[in-house]
Amino acid sequence: MDIAEQKKGSVVVLALKGRLDAATSGKLEETLLGLIERGERKLALSFNHVDYISSAGLRVLLVAAKRLKPLNGKIALYSLNPQVREVFEIAGFTTIFPISAAEEDALRSFQKS
Amino acid sequence: MTAPRTLTLHNRLSELERLAHEVTAFGQAQRLPEPVSQALNLALDEIVTNIISYGYDDQADHQISLRLSLQAGEVTVEVEDDARPFNPLEAPPPDLTAPLEERSEGGLGIHLARTVMDGLEYRRQNGKNYLVMRKRVSG
Repeated sequence: MDIAEQKKGSVVVLALKGRLDAATSGKLEETLLGLIERGERKLALSFNHVDYISSAGLRVLLVAAKRLKPLNGKIALYSLNPQVREVFEIAGFTTIFPISAAEEDALRSFQKS
Repeated sequence: MTAPRTLTLHNRLSELERLAHEVTAFGQAQRLPEPVSQALNLALDEIVTNIISYGYDDQADHQISLRLSLQAGEVTVEVEDDARPFNPLEAPPPDLTAPLEERSEGGLGIHLARTVMDGLEYRRQNGKNYLVMRKRVSG
């Protein structure tokens, strides 16, 4: 799992690349919790180059989102491929995460709340 | 029926990558539709991850045996392990409608595996778990 980090205004944009399974999701967990620890509250995650996610990857997103919630923070996801999106749907995650088609939509979703 | 593909994994999460390669190779060799291959990948990943992460009380090396076969338009996946007894059919389904703060972090993997496959059978025999999963190749 490669993670490229970029700050756009008050939002941290993370471009993820690779598989998100039990062997690789630890790195994402470390990154997300580190950012929250550092005081970041708006996280946008690009799934453009994620071709696979298992429940281990979903769990990491859930842990980070739960930690952000009482801090008035949020995680927005975008550019999910159809297979990855299907896993989110089966897990019921499309109702607890804002999912956008493109980065600009994800960035805009932070302005609304 | 073509020859089944067998695979033995060790109880280390680093084996997941090899598992994915093998399942993908099976799908290509059998010319399985992409959604079928993806379902097999996800279900096996979840089941094997569960075994490796929660199945053993010791630090010893254990083997997990897999067998994939295609017969009469149906893929059968057999998983055999010597981990503690675990019947995925008895795992309670997660609440998929609760608000974020009440969502459980457990149980999602088994739910995904059960959803993407068409059938699961489990038996405990001679100190081992035997799980059989089936996936129809549409047609």
